[in-house]
Amino acid sequence: MSDAPAPKPPPTDLVRFTLNGRHVYAKPGSMLVDAAAEVGVEIPVFCYEPRLGGPIGACRMCLVEVEGMRGLQTACSTPVAPEMVVHTDNAAAKDAQDGVLELLLANHPLDCPVCDKGGECPLQNHTMKFGPGRTRFVEPKRHFPKPLNLSTVVALDRERCITCFRCVRFSQDVAEDGQLTFQERGAGTEVATFTGEPYEGRFTGNIIDLCPVGALTSIPYRFVSRPWDIKNTPSICGTCPAGCNVDITQRDGEIKRVTGRAEPNYAVEEGWICDRGRWGYPAAWSAGRITNALVRGEDGLLHEVPLEEAVDRAAFILQRSAATGVLVGTDATVEDGHLSAKLAEALAGGRVGRLGIPDRPHLTALRNLPRAELGEIDQADVVAVVGGDLGNQHPIVELRLRKLLRRRGTLLVAGVRPQMIAPRATESVRTAPGRLVDALDAVERVLESGSRPILIWDEADLANDDAAAARLAATAEAAGARVIELSAHVNAHGLRALGLPTGNILDDIEAKRVATLLAVHADPTEFAGSTEWDAALDQLNDIIVVATHRSHITERADVVLPALMKQEIEGVLVSMTGRAQRLRPGSDGPEGAAAAWEILIGLSHRVGKPFPWRTPAQTFASVAAGYPAFAGLTYQAIGTEGAPIGDADVIPVDDTDPPRPLGEGLPLVLTTEIFGDATSWRSDALASLRQQAGLRLSPGEARRQTVTDGDVVVVASPHGSCALTVSVDERLPDGAAFVMTGPPGAGTHALLGADFGPVNVRIGA
Amino acid sequence: MTAAEVREHIDPIRHEYADPRSLVLPALKFAQTRDGYLSEENLEAVAEATGYSRAYVESVASFYDRLYLTPVGDRVVSVCVTLSCMLRGSDEIMAALAEHLDVGPHGGTSPDGRITLQESQCLGACDKGACIQVDAENTVGPLTPAEAVALVDELREAETPAERWR
Amino acid sequence: MPVVNSVYRHREAGSPLVTLAEYEAAGGYRALRKALLEMPADDVMYQFHRSGLRGRGGAGFPMGRKASFLPKDSPLPSYVVCNGDESEPGTFKDREILEFNPFQLLEGIVLAAYAVDCHQTYIYVRGEYEHQARVLDSALRQARAAGYVGDDIAGSGYACNVTVYRGAGAYICGEETALLESLEGKRGQPRLKPPFPAVAGLYGSPTLINNVETLAALPPIVDKGADWYLSMGTEKSPGTKAFSISGHVMRPGNYEIVLGDTTLRELVYDLAGGLREGREFKAVWIGGSSTPVMGADKLDTPLDYEAIAEAGSALGSGGCIVMDDSGCIVRASLRLAHFYRHESCGKCSPCREGTNWMEKILQRMVDGDARMEDLEMLESLFGRISGRTLCPLADGAIAPIKSAINLFRDDFVRVIENGSPRPEPMLEAVGV
Repeated sequence: MSDAPAPKPPPTDLVRFTLNGRHVYAKPGSMLVDAAAEVGVEIPVFCYEPRLGGPIGACRMCLVEVEGMRGLQTACSTPVAPEMVVHTDNAAAKDAQDGVLELLLANHPLDCPVCDKGGECPLQNHTMKFGPGRTRFVEPKRHFPKPLNLSTVVALDRERCITCFRCVRFSQDVAEDGQLTFQERGAGTEVATFTGEPYEGRFTGNIIDLCPVGALTSIPYRFVSRPWDIKNTPSICGTCPAGCNVDITQRDGEIKRVTGRAEPNYAVEEGWICDRGRWGYPAAWSAGRITNALVRGEDGLLHEVPLEEAVDRAAFILQRSAATGVLVGTDATVEDGHLSAKLAEALAGGRVGRLGIPDRPHLTALRNLPRAELGEIDQADVVAVVGGDLGNQHPIVELRLRKLLRRRGTLLVAGVRPQMIAPRATESVRTAPGRLVDALDAVERVLESGSRPILIWDEADLANDDAAAARLAATAEAAGARVIELSAHVNAHGLRALGLPTGNILDDIEAKRVATLLAVHADPTEFAGSTEWDAALDQLNDIIVVATHRSHITERADVVLPALMKQEIEGVLVSMTGRAQRLRPGSDGPEGAAAAWEILIGLSHRVGKPFPWRTPAQTFASVAAGYPAFAGLTYQAIGTEGAPIGDADVIPVDDTDPPRPLGEGLPLVLTTEIFGDATSWRSDALASLRQQAGLRLSPGEARRQTVTDGDVVVVASPHGSCALTVSVDERLPDGAAFVMTGPPGAGTHALLGADFGPVNVRIGA
Repeated sequence: MTAAEVREHIDPIRHEYADPRSLVLPALKFAQTRDGYLSEENLEAVAEATGYSRAYVESVASFYDRLYLTPVGDRVVSVCVTLSCMLRGSDEIMAALAEHLDVGPHGGTSPDGRITLQESQCLGACDKGACIQVDAENTVGPLTPAEAVALVDELREAETPAERWR
Repeated sequence: MPVVNSVYRHREAGSPLVTLAEYEAAGGYRALRKALLEMPADDVMYQFHRSGLRGRGGAGFPMGRKASFLPKDSPLPSYVVCNGDESEPGTFKDREILEFNPFQLLEGIVLAAYAVDCHQTYIYVRGEYEHQARVLDSALRQARAAGYVGDDIAGSGYACNVTVYRGAGAYICGEETALLESLEGKRGQPRLKPPFPAVAGLYGSPTLINNVETLAALPPIVDKGADWYLSMGTEKSPGTKAFSISGHVMRPGNYEIVLGDTTLRELVYDLAGGLREGREFKAVWIGGSSTPVMGADKLDTPLDYEAIAEAGSALGSGGCIVMDDSGCIVRASLRLAHFYRHESCGKCSPCREGTNWMEKILQRMVDGDARMEDLEMLESLFGRISGRTLCPLADGAIAPIKSAINLFRDDFVRVIENGSPRPEPMLEAVGV
């Protein structure tokens, strides 16, 4: 066998047909509209959107002439056939295009000058290219009161609607939330919710991206910009570890909008994004955003200083310190992690660690199984989800699983939480806290039943359940299942691949091996083990913080270096499926702030150990050269679509004892709801959707604990305690305390130890 | 109407359909037999009994002329206004009934709430044109405007059946 | 001008056949017993095929051929669905079968099911036919009790269930894929074809859909043989057809005639009693309102598919609406435009917007608010809609109006100039 690349497939694999007089080729079975697009011929469409399901032929915009077929054909639903002769630009086709546009415009208010869609509107564009020069409709147009707020984030202008079905199909057939429908029929058809209730869900914003006219618009974006004033940048959401690809819209250097990728990444999010990812961007200018460097003065207070001065101050501290711990937070990029490690190396007594779940041995066994991308769920026939709460924590995965079920695949959902997809799943097994092992017979049966099985497992839950993790790894391997890890934190996969350990910095502070802390995008007081960290911080001589928002730790810092956020920087995040993807700046960010990578490089210069890299790209090249998991990757190779990293050489924590629950009382189950995270609490756009911290109990458990809805109780674990409001939830099982983490400062993290180990809690007044 | 009552109506026919969605229309039709229309509560009962969202069942209901989403009178009187009946005087019947019931020219509910008058498309009773239909149960014709008025008066006097299929 | 009553067997019997005993006494269920006990399914299918019976719902597609499109090797169950959503203006022939001869439909649908190896059938009855649906329910109960529906029909071992499904008021549900959507519990909006229902119909399964009259014609075909059926009618339009006639005639009603043997004139003047004293024939929508209107010059057209097509219209559903010279063609056109605007499902753009626009233009004409250019615009609009929609509804809306303009252009010009006063309707109360 030669190593020569496979020859280009001969045209015989393709179908030859004639398009507007040209011989062209297409994949057999492709629809004319796609086949034409492949060879550069645009056939206009409104309703056609394969991500929503098969063609429906409703808008009639794509009519073309196929010789030998009676009448005109919809190119969206006509597959190419050998030697087919197709005209998209002859008189008949042009008249059809012109005609459909004239009819669509008959009732369309030509309010383009005040419409947010203007300039990026398929109806407007098609009209320019294919449409009527004038309208002959003299009757009064269909009239509805001007925009209706479908929710606090989506506005509906019914007059502009051309009834293309996209939004209602998304709601019914993709998100399956069932809320958005057509009401009435014929010319009176309108998009509506049940008796005008708000359209609330986790994926509602996608209908804005889908709408081919200005009927559905983003309320936070309303009247903000015109398309010719804006710039779109492909980037990564980075709010959760799923790694959805997004486009960021900026105007005058400021972020104005986040949308699904215009060119969807089918390996990851398919162009859909969740509402948290879409409307989290106003966190950039929330009240707590740090826009200027801060240095603690002799008066003991933090004072704004120029960034240069603060960096100098930080460098001075670091140089003076005999033992510095560099703590990398979960939002840090791969470059930030690498530079942190290098800076620690350069400093006297320096050491580096990261916040995260310890790499227990059995997790490594699971991680060493062949991985799948989210997109590969589309090829799976069975999927088992073990643990976690992906609908809240990795929302986009749920859409893939719904798709699996729509194409009659098998889905097993197992775990302790009431997962939102569970009622729809083929099978659902609820386990007691720490007892995932009880679901594994079912998991094994389901995975074995498939020919292309995928196991989706939750890092946080399996980390606390050694018995389950061990057996699960063996089961998945025996079944030939590929795996997707539901990471607990955004760039956990990338930082782990850099070999950054967990837990060490806290230990070193407690053992007085570290006297200075440099926290890079890390606030351990808003993390598991916050009580212990709180005490540890007291023992430090100096705290330097690189952060985007004010928090508990910035208030205690000696130097606060204001960092840019993910949407403002260049860098690489590795998604939970092990896909390296590039953040690109879609916004300048505050003038007084800098990217963490820039601050770290600056510090290296100031401490007299200058790094040879000046840019994130150079830094990443060093990562690729230094770590086997990143070997061969470059910014260019990652491109806009991302690229999988290799297996990381992870040394699991030296801890062979299975985690045992500490304390007495009810097992604690900690959950972060989709709108209950820091981003949601910082973004004004999501204000009405924010989810509070709280204690949720089953009705039976609430009775046993003699508490009821609305009671404020103190939940206490051996690690710490916090006050929470009780709500009774019928979906929950008895025998567990479900705590929703809520906004920064809610204190729920105090309940956990820094090792994320299982705990029991007591509920008291 | 409660979900349990709707379920009681559709459960015996459930096995006749490969997909339970088919039960939505029978459930909707049944759910309005008592109140005469699909109140929010009735829609919720249908949604719960069939397992589809409230918005979905409302959307289905709104597609069909004979499923009512706003309150209607104790009896619904439909005047066929399509071509055959028009040629035989349905416009005159409509006008006479509208005046008699004190409703708008295209129908409405009489102030006493007894009768909803509506225009209807071809009722498939052109041999009886001009005809009117009482709920969906009884089609009467041919009628003159005077006869139509008399019939509606009779209806107004008569007791309202507990269950009305319209 | 022979009148037969093969689908209106109750007429031959002289009374409604609403009890099983009445139906059996009139020869009912002979065909089903014969088919199930003596004939392989393929033979029954052959009889359908050979009879040349054409679909009576409007399209006139040969029933046997349609049935033969169902794949034989499908792993999915197949279904037979009866289209009883009779809503075409001017058409009320199925209503009579449902109300007075329901068993013949039940016998016919089981015969069809047997031929295509199907065990579950549905009869979709329009919502406004609640009374008729109840008659059918009662007949179904009797048939089930007597073993003509259910397991082991007539001791043959063949099982077939019939389910009566009620619509809720939507003309479009007479379109077969919209009917299937409605039967699946959805908004009755037509589906994109292909796939055709024969391949992927109800619940995605192979489905045979036939009109009430078509299915009711099957028992006599099986009973007396396809050759008997072929002996009637013309070569391409064999057998009998029920015509519903209404409007400005003295004896509106249903008349079952042998295709090709009767002319329109005979239907209007002999069977339906002609027009009112002193009135002239003006126009007829012969095959339901979705067919092109014809004038008095076509009165001698024989009533069969080919002859009517040649005369410029279509036999359609056989719903024949007659208008005398008291009527205004523009008003009539507006009334039909109103109907189609009301019934457009809204799924595809040209129909949703086009039917709406057409009605508005015609309304302006009748109100005297139109200009002469509007006539030209209306005509150009037809070309922008026709043949470009998802289903035939919009073409059905255009056919009567476009033909009316062609045929009675002067009337349109006059109305545009002067408006149209409301004419005196025909108030003579004439019963069936």
